[in-house]
Amino acid sequence: MKEYIYDNSFDGLLTAIFYAYSEKDAVRITKDMNDLPNLFYEKVTVITEQDKAERVYTSLNSKLSYETLSNVYYLYLYNDPAVDTLILSYVKLCFKCSSTINLAKNNDIIRTVDKYVRRVYGEAHRFHGFVRFKEVAPSVFYAQIEPDHDILPLIVSHFKERFSDQYFIIHDLRREYAIIYDLKEAYFKDFSIEEGKKIVLSSQTDCFESLFKSFYQAVTIEERKNERQRRSFMPKRYWKHLIEVK
Amino acid sequence: MFDIIEDGDKMDLNQKLEILSAAAKYDVSCSSSGSKRSSKAGSLGSVSAAGICHSFTPDGRCISLLKVLLTNYCIYDCAYCANRKSNDTPRAAFTVDEVVNLTINFYRRNYIEGLFLSSAVIQNPNYTMEMLTQVLQNLRTKQNFSGYIHVKAIPGASQELIDKAGLYADRMSVNIELPSDHSLKLLAPEKKKEDIFKPMKQISTNITAHLAERKKFKKAPIYVPGGQSTQLIIGATPDSDLSILSLSQKLYDKYSLKRVYYSAYVPVNTGANLPAIQNPPTLREHRLYQGDWLLRFYGFRAEELLNEKNPDFDINFDPKTNWALNNLQLFPIEINTAPFDMLLRVPGIGVRSAQKILSSRHLAPLNYEDLKKLGVVLKRAQHFITCRSKYHGAVGLNETNIRTVLRPKLDLNIADNPYQQLNLFDHMRDAKMQPAVIFPKHFQIPQKLLLAEDALTSLTGEI
Repeated sequence: MKEYIYDNSFDGLLTAIFYAYSEKDAVRITKDMNDLPNLFYEKVTVITEQDKAERVYTSLNSKLSYETLSNVYYLYLYNDPAVDTLILSYVKLCFKCSSTINLAKNNDIIRTVDKYVRRVYGEAHRFHGFVRFKEVAPSVFYAQIEPDHDILPLIVSHFKERFSDQYFIIHDLRREYAIIYDLKEAYFKDFSIEEGKKIVLSSQTDCFESLFKSFYQAVTIEERKNERQRRSFMPKRYWKHLIEVK
Repeated sequence: MFDIIEDGDKMDLNQKLEILSAAAKYDVSCSSSGSKRSSKAGSLGSVSAAGICHSFTPDGRCISLLKVLLTNYCIYDCAYCANRKSNDTPRAAFTVDEVVNLTINFYRRNYIEGLFLSSAVIQNPNYTMEMLTQVLQNLRTKQNFSGYIHVKAIPGASQELIDKAGLYADRMSVNIELPSDHSLKLLAPEKKKEDIFKPMKQISTNITAHLAERKKFKKAPIYVPGGQSTQLIIGATPDSDLSILSLSQKLYDKYSLKRVYYSAYVPVNTGANLPAIQNPPTLREHRLYQGDWLLRFYGFRAEELLNEKNPDFDINFDPKTNWALNNLQLFPIEINTAPFDMLLRVPGIGVRSAQKILSSRHLAPLNYEDLKKLGVVLKRAQHFITCRSKYHGAVGLNETNIRTVLRPKLDLNIADNPYQQLNLFDHMRDAKMQPAVIFPKHFQIPQKLLLAEDALTSLTGEI
């Protein structure tokens, strides 16, 4: 039994699928950062090969469907060590039954895939709203987030389009990288927690934060208080970076 | 009057914001959906079709727009309203620049999706509408703001002003508030029914006209792309659910409204014509929202759900279950062959699970076990369906039996009773009898109940 370890990149995942696909035995694929020692699997380190990745990419897109390919990408962003092996079984299933198998919402693999994809998609949508910028210098905005899944690649185009005339940084503290936008282009860059702390400490208080807090207090209807409802829409784990409830 | 406003100007921005957003909070609408616009180079903001919620308040409602009144000085004295003239509440007024400044800066920090601007009526309807339009014009033309704007059309304002505001706004709304002419006379005698429906009709005509124009000329301006909405207060007047829902249906049919919001009456005032209620009737509001969803997404008509004999929803059953139980001759239906619109009418099957059923049975017939995997709520659905010709209901196709199984353990009518907290021993006290059972001290009826299996679509405010 083999376990393919790849370098956390999407191309790496596709290369791993390329090699693991024809394997007869039970096989696992794992991201390098989730790699744990175990006795049962023989570890194989996958070196990303651009041409192999491209082959898998095009065949997912043309032989199966764009939907299948995009599902694979969303799953790749999902935060669970076992998800890469699920991706392999999903791809295998699709090649076996053609991409119409995606319609079988009662199939266990399809069901799990749909569930995970919805979670990633849903969280990305949530974070269109849950990012709180702080003006750290005139017209320079900085936000910290800690999403469950790796959603920065999914929200970048939204923020770039909306705030096209202001510099901004959206910092994912969990994965220690950030979107940086410089009025021309948005790009990803490794960004440590310490660097983030420095930015926050060196900035002044933003008077609109307290104004927004007052607004938040004022629009609440006391007679209709419903804490459970609030938590289901805005789970407590996100509150750390939401200035109105911090 | 002007003296008072100048006093207001000395107030700091924070105080004004507190007063004027607290005064706007009883307006339920918060959705930022229905319109789509991508950003032009150099302008600020975009609008996404699905709408985006930015935060949620402790009452579980979403904050999507900066919801404020321009002022809460009002010339009217509507009995139900917190801002009525005779109330001794703190008053304030924003200047145009203050609203613009707040909107832009909140927007840049991603706190909000845009602006929801309303106002009490100051001086006269035209003056108020003109002030509102000034804010919109400033945001759109001077600040190049292309985020979402929802603006209230002030009943009684002139046609030209409403036409102009509509060119800047994504959504416009006129609040009907009271569902019948009679209630309007009782609680808001200064407002006229015609004044409310006139702008509504005008907006809807304008939308159609501009859409036709755009088919001919691509660059013709868009008029209120997000459509219009309205709000009805529930429980301040004795209007029945039937009259409320029929009104909504008319509004959807005639003026193609995007949304009708229902707002359980929160007793902010007391008065001879107002009911003395303790809690807002939130469960009734919830049932009305369920009914409203059935009208818009499930192909039901108001007269199917309610009639003169039963003019109100049964608080204990959701409207669809109630309808199914009254029309039991149509059931059971076969999951593997029933058409989509019939699947939608089965209690426990929603739009999403109906789509999943359709998609999956395309490949192979479904088992009963599969239904649970597709998200069908079998607790309700089992009584109304067959699967591969087999009926799985636990109690048989019999109205009384099904009602008994589905009835909530605690009668929700008691929980939603807005008039008083029931005392278990009330009836005994009258008869001067000793209670036969002694309940432990902590035993009491919860005052606000939420139904676990009902999705609270009403509160998310989207679509």
